[in-house]
Amino acid sequence: MAARMRALTGRTAFLASVGLAYLLVLAPLIAVFWVSFFRNKIIAFPPQGYTLAWFANAWSLDDFRNGFVLSVEIGIVATIGSLLIGVPAALALARHDFRGREAISAALMSPLIVPGIVAGTAVYMFYIEIETWTDVQLAATLPGLCLAHVVLALPWTVRLVTASLVGVNRLVEEAAMTLGAGPALTLWRVTLPMIRPAIVAGGLFSFVVSFVDLEKSLFLVGPGRTTLPIAIINYLEWSIDPTIAAVATIQILIISAALLLTDRFVKLSRAF
Amino acid sequence: MRDDAGLRPFSLLSPAVLVITIGLLLPMTMMFRFSLNRYSANELMTQALTLSNYARFFGDAFYLGILAKTIAVALASTVVALVLGVPAAYFLARLSTPRLKSALILMTVVPLLMGNSVRTAGWMVLLGDRGLCNAILIFLGIREEPLRILYTGKAVLIALVAAILPYMIISLQSVLEGIERVYEEAALTLGAHPATMFRRVLLPMLMPGIFSGSLLCFILAMNAYATPLLIGGPTFQMMAPLVYQQLTKVFDWPFASSMAFVLMAVTLASVVLSSVFIQNRYGRL
Repeated sequence: MAARMRALTGRTAFLASVGLAYLLVLAPLIAVFWVSFFRNKIIAFPPQGYTLAWFANAWSLDDFRNGFVLSVEIGIVATIGSLLIGVPAALALARHDFRGREAISAALMSPLIVPGIVAGTAVYMFYIEIETWTDVQLAATLPGLCLAHVVLALPWTVRLVTASLVGVNRLVEEAAMTLGAGPALTLWRVTLPMIRPAIVAGGLFSFVVSFVDLEKSLFLVGPGRTTLPIAIINYLEWSIDPTIAAVATIQILIISAALLLTDRFVKLSRAF
Repeated sequence: MRDDAGLRPFSLLSPAVLVITIGLLLPMTMMFRFSLNRYSANELMTQALTLSNYARFFGDAFYLGILAKTIAVALASTVVALVLGVPAAYFLARLSTPRLKSALILMTVVPLLMGNSVRTAGWMVLLGDRGLCNAILIFLGIREEPLRILYTGKAVLIALVAAILPYMIISLQSVLEGIERVYEEAALTLGAHPATMFRRVLLPMLMPGIFSGSLLCFILAMNAYATPLLIGGPTFQMMAPLVYQQLTKVFDWPFASSMAFVLMAVTLASVVLSSVFIQNRYGRL
């Protein structure tokens, strides 16, 4: 009896800690989502009613509208850029053995290791130095932000596509070659279609990591040219109200949609 | 497949290598060089080869205190995340309903990639004086007046744990998936108490996951920016906001560079130390 009681307490404690873990992870997102529909202007619980007005209000504020547009623009460039340079790099890493392969692979993965705030500091000073030497302005410009975000997204694309290439059966490619297809045709008609899920997932991941980035972009944005996450924290320094909750909710919806879509191509648990 | 030795991988890789070099490696090298320069009020930076910026950092109790606090907060949040992460990861790995399992994996991964600004907004809604937690406490009659949670160290710790916990769960889960259930069952049928089974059977096999997960969480917590700034408030100082201020408000590039390098060195040292430890103890992973 006592043993059974102990087992029951153990099981309850186990389930309680699982519940607590997921409560911590999900509560902030659920809270901000909920508050964005409150009718009261100042956040108070329980709400006096519900409205969609704060979404319209958020869109009418320049900082948020421009921030949203800029984040989408950068996200798209980061996606295209990381695919254009990341897929060829993954092909080389997965299909060729050459000297320095490990070192190059480590270099391409380095944006995952260097903390955002450190990388941001370095890139900011680098851009200013380039400006002093060549008069080309990169800090606080779209090209400057885009370059930084392609770097941010690249390791995810390279990793997902390399992993997928390793799993591809090379006999299929060899069959195409024996049947007379040249290397370019084989790549285009056989190899790339086989790794399509990884390419799509790499692109979506690139968009997500670029869209949510805060620390690295912090240094590279300028007056009137702010990404959405930075517009959010700038606003949060002054106040927290349903309008900012509405903006955060929009980010939650975009990122969730992108990740649910990714999950259809490559299981998210295998992306890490 | 033909392999025109060297030429093809070179041309396939060169765009990516070029972008990483311009976008990260060169700036990092330049920053290291800058950290050895001298700051001057009128010229901002003068060429030099001096360790004075590092000496200034390690000689000043104010900066050392912030570094120590950053390390302490990062360690504490990593430990809490580990304690909460093990049961959650075990639950996730041993779920037998595929639909429930993929739903729970999504609920872990989506918050992980949600970005710190949104999460911070959420904690401000929950922990503020008029926030949900205080509303519940007052409604239940536990408190008369709102409890001050936001802008305290406790709030920073809670928010940091929540931010890093998904990484911990995913790291542990991936290792647990590889440990077959028969080991646990063997120990249990031989009469081991579940706690003994966990300590003697599961824990040793889980060690690689515990190390990689803790390492990742420690790095993320060390470098946290939005959480200490907005949840901790102006008096709660950690390294990342300090680097940002030094660069954009004080314009002391050499000192900001050296601080960024100290932050990165602590991070990298923990990576190297733990990978040496893991390799010695558990072989190459």
